[in-house]
Amino acid sequence: MTSPAGRGTQTERSFQREREMSFIKKFIEQEAINRRNFLFASAMGAGGLAAATMFKAGPARAAIEDPAIAWSYRDRTNPYWNAIVSGGESFVESIGKSKADLINLINEGSSEKSLSDVKALLSKTNGKLALAIDTNDSPNARPVVEAVAEKGAFVSTLWNKTADLHPWDFGDNYVSHMAWSDVGPAEQTATILFKAMGGKDAIVGLGGIASNNPAIERRNGLDNAMKKFPDIQLLDYQAADWDTQKAATIMASYLTRFGDEIKGVFCANDTMAYGVLEALRAEGLAGQIPIVAYDGNAQAVDLIMAGELLATVYTNPYWGGGITAALAYHAAIGTFKPSEEPHEHREFNGPTILITKDDAENFKKQYVDATPSYDWKDFWGPSTGAITY
Amino acid sequence: MGAATGARRAGMFFSLVNPNFMSLRNFARIGISMTLPPLMVAVGVTFIIIMGSIDLSMEGAVAVCAVVFAAIFMWLGGTLASWAWLALPACIVVGALYGLLNGLVHVKLRIPSFMASLSMGFVGIGLSLLMTGGDRIRVEDKIFRSLLTERYFGFPLMVHVALLVILIAWFIQSRTAIGRNFYAVGGGEELAHASGLDVKRVRVLGFMLAGVFYALGALFAVAQIGIAETATGYNFMFVSITSVVVGGTALWGGNGGVWNTLVGVLIVNVINNGMIVMGLPRYLQDGVLGLLVILAGRPVDGSQIPRIREVSGPCLS
Amino acid sequence: MDKGVGMVFQEQSLIGNLTVMENIFLGFERQFVKFGIVDWKKMAAAARYQLAKVKLSIDPKMVTSKLSFAQRQLVELAKVLTLEERVHGDLVILLDEPTSVLAKEEVQLLFKLVRELRSRASFIFVSHRLDEVLELSDRVYVMKDGEVVDHVETSVATAESIQHKMVGHDINKEYYREEKQFAYDPAKVLVELDAISLAGKYKDISLSLHAGEVLTLVGTEGSGREAIIRTIFGMQKPQSGSVTVKGRKITTYSADAAVANGIGYIPRERKIEGIVAGMSVYENLTLSQMGRYSRFGFLRIGDEKALAREWIKKLSIKASSEYADCGNLSGGNQQKVVLSKWRSGGSDIILLDHPTRGLDIGAKEDVYEMVRAMSADGVGIILIADTLEEAIGLSHTIAVIKDGEIQKRFDGKPGHKPSLFDLIHYMI
Repeated sequence: MTSPAGRGTQTERSFQREREMSFIKKFIEQEAINRRNFLFASAMGAGGLAAATMFKAGPARAAIEDPAIAWSYRDRTNPYWNAIVSGGESFVESIGKSKADLINLINEGSSEKSLSDVKALLSKTNGKLALAIDTNDSPNARPVVEAVAEKGAFVSTLWNKTADLHPWDFGDNYVSHMAWSDVGPAEQTATILFKAMGGKDAIVGLGGIASNNPAIERRNGLDNAMKKFPDIQLLDYQAADWDTQKAATIMASYLTRFGDEIKGVFCANDTMAYGVLEALRAEGLAGQIPIVAYDGNAQAVDLIMAGELLATVYTNPYWGGGITAALAYHAAIGTFKPSEEPHEHREFNGPTILITKDDAENFKKQYVDATPSYDWKDFWGPSTGAITY
Repeated sequence: MGAATGARRAGMFFSLVNPNFMSLRNFARIGISMTLPPLMVAVGVTFIIIMGSIDLSMEGAVAVCAVVFAAIFMWLGGTLASWAWLALPACIVVGALYGLLNGLVHVKLRIPSFMASLSMGFVGIGLSLLMTGGDRIRVEDKIFRSLLTERYFGFPLMVHVALLVILIAWFIQSRTAIGRNFYAVGGGEELAHASGLDVKRVRVLGFMLAGVFYALGALFAVAQIGIAETATGYNFMFVSITSVVVGGTALWGGNGGVWNTLVGVLIVNVINNGMIVMGLPRYLQDGVLGLLVILAGRPVDGSQIPRIREVSGPCLS
Repeated sequence: MDKGVGMVFQEQSLIGNLTVMENIFLGFERQFVKFGIVDWKKMAAAARYQLAKVKLSIDPKMVTSKLSFAQRQLVELAKVLTLEERVHGDLVILLDEPTSVLAKEEVQLLFKLVRELRSRASFIFVSHRLDEVLELSDRVYVMKDGEVVDHVETSVATAESIQHKMVGHDINKEYYREEKQFAYDPAKVLVELDAISLAGKYKDISLSLHAGEVLTLVGTEGSGREAIIRTIFGMQKPQSGSVTVKGRKITTYSADAAVANGIGYIPRERKIEGIVAGMSVYENLTLSQMGRYSRFGFLRIGDEKALAREWIKKLSIKASSEYADCGNLSGGNQQKVVLSKWRSGGSDIILLDHPTRGLDIGAKEDVYEMVRAMSADGVGIILIADTLEEAIGLSHTIAVIKDGEIQKRFDGKPGHKPSLFDLIHYMI
């Protein structure tokens, strides 16, 4: 610590630590949405299509009686995945089994582990398996699905798969794929904001970590909405990295810079909205400037009820986790035949629930204060339609 | 003080770019917009840096203090008008204990301070995660939040409280034996030792004192955004150490002080705020701050180049 | 090294966590590298060849720190001898105090080796042990105060003749000032060392310091004088024996306990251990007496400044005011500040380690004055002097230390001063 070189190292350390600290934070808050990052990473490949057709015929197998049910995912230490797996457990209980009957395959962020775990389980169960999986990254989806199809087991995927990989290329064995798109809901919140402003005046925006896919999608949603409201001006849009404090700092600077010009705020998630709100509160402006956010956190719902937040969006991971397992299971036991279902039942977007003042109280009662009970056989009811590429 | 001129110059530059910049309302906002919590942390770490050590545990310490405060506060009633006020002294005590532990790990286990405190920082992050389960604790008591919302002379109440805290810090630095000892240890550990100072005790006390200021930083942070969470101390380490260095306190110890740090925090914030006002992209903003540290941290002349001491006995800095 | 000059240092230059062969070829590994990969077998073979030159049969893949000191010395020699292969022409090898840490048999082994290697290289041998010098070398250069005084062929030199050359003839009587020296009080013992030993530093040291006495430890660099002083100041705990200060046996060895016992330490490295540059005179003065100049932890700065003014006057310290930065004072005045730090704190045992080092004549004389004044005040002083003249002139008692042991005690009272020759005879 006494030499100049030592001081240099120290600065580096602090940079590095900053990175590490923010990693922890991001992990908690954003791990959830990172899943989406790889969704569109791979371009459509004709070769892939050709390969896929080889499996079209897949071993024809009659319905499996009492298949093993497994959920394969990263790990359970963050709330998002906790909710996913809780949904899976709820489904398992709904068919008269115990929570412990759901096999947890934890890939710890490794695609290799994800694949080898699946292969091991396939041979152990001799293909009598209903698998729900997030394959950790998009390219890994293909080998997983192929391994499952080869053994005649059934798989439903969540979040990650390449665009050229489709359930209908694998007969019945690749049951379904579900993901969420943030573009549409973000456009909706922006629209709500603009309408509240009377369709004119200026807003400021706060985005997530610039390279995060949800940050990009939500920004796109805002841009789409702005095209429909030509009188709305975007004064500035800066990344506050999903962080409350950073958002508060940036909002304070916005107030400095634009003062009373600001008539509305678009936030790419709830946690940043809290910071924005406190920066406004410091100026006595809380509740006077409309803010929209995203994620549907409990606190955001409260703020909507208190009139300090205009709208947010909930993606319901609990349902997503349950229904993915349910689809694989019911396809396996023959409740329905996937190959007879339309494409929009095999590749579809997960539900997003828009929360505004009108429905906040109801939402809180239904989703925050209690865990809703779902009909795990209503596979596609809450879906928002087919995934379009 | 050249640093003060620096802050003024930076302010003038940004006000040229954007005429709104230097209004009083804006200045107050610079004051509150996230300046005070890192300022408290920076004042705390100033003492450590004067001793020639470094403390990187602040983010963990702030997180733990904030979470413990909020938990006790909400548990005891959730408003200052009840027994929940006890959460304030409890938070300070937790900060002191955290610093004590930090200092003991450093001194007793003979782990260099940067490593000991870095690890303790992670311990703190983990601990607060464990306590909150990744959730946030909301503190919405109007009386407590009046630190942010009440204004006197155009400044939020917390600015006045912070000024008082800085005066106390200055008093500790210049009018108490322990303050003097920080400088002695930083000016020459061997010498302090050869003068009969219990250097280890001074070091541990220094970390404890810093912990108290981290706790104050945590309280301000919670008052500011009404949330206590693991991320409460996010980015405080970089901002506080940057500010201390930019203020002119040498990283090898023995000089500088609380006023330097105040000026450093102001410079960093004026520049930070200015960059946002100018609409500089986020990644460039961080880069500029990094450059600032490099420029401020280099030895200016020969006398400031740290001497290489003969290693005898525990080399702890 | 390119010129064919190799050095074997007293402070060994081998890197402990590397293997022997890595050390031997440190910086010259390229000869074993093929396609970016080190051929370890080849290196080991080459290392064995080098080790054979010094008759050392150890595994070159051993980690160096596991070797004994003597073995490491030989490895170092082997490393130097790699020059034979790299350099054309004559090889000169410098041996800087190579024997200081070796046992007698090891020294003989080394000498035997050096004699054998004389066919391959010339040696320059630096040592403070005259017997070794006479035994090993062909020619002796005598140096004193950075100058070559004389050189003689060993065949005609004797230990006595060399000692005389080392002493020189211009003994400066000024240092003596016998008339200014006061008698001390032999009844009042301040410090009593009872057979203290610390491996590698000193052995079986028994000394006593009386009120008003100036006790000087004389010896060469590394003879153990400094370690003894540091032990008295509580910075190094002896492995056996006991230290008694003012009738109380020391149980906890710490500097703050020593200060509490009235011991003041004026270290050799003023800037590192004496004053804090950047702190004012008054801040430096009270550094060792924080307790006295604070109440409930709050400083009594007014009293501190008054104290500083008093001592600036008393010792005529040339400082603009009590606020002056100690780092800007001259060496002599810095030394005065350090002295007043201890004296103002009431220390009556002062340990002086080279107090006049780096000072000019006038400043030195000031320091002598202060030493005598303290002695007159009944302060016990243990001195490590910068020169032998200083030692003789200032002391009541002189203990000559060599290789950590007391060789001889001289009574240095006025009229009974030992000569420089007497001292050197026992020093080396």
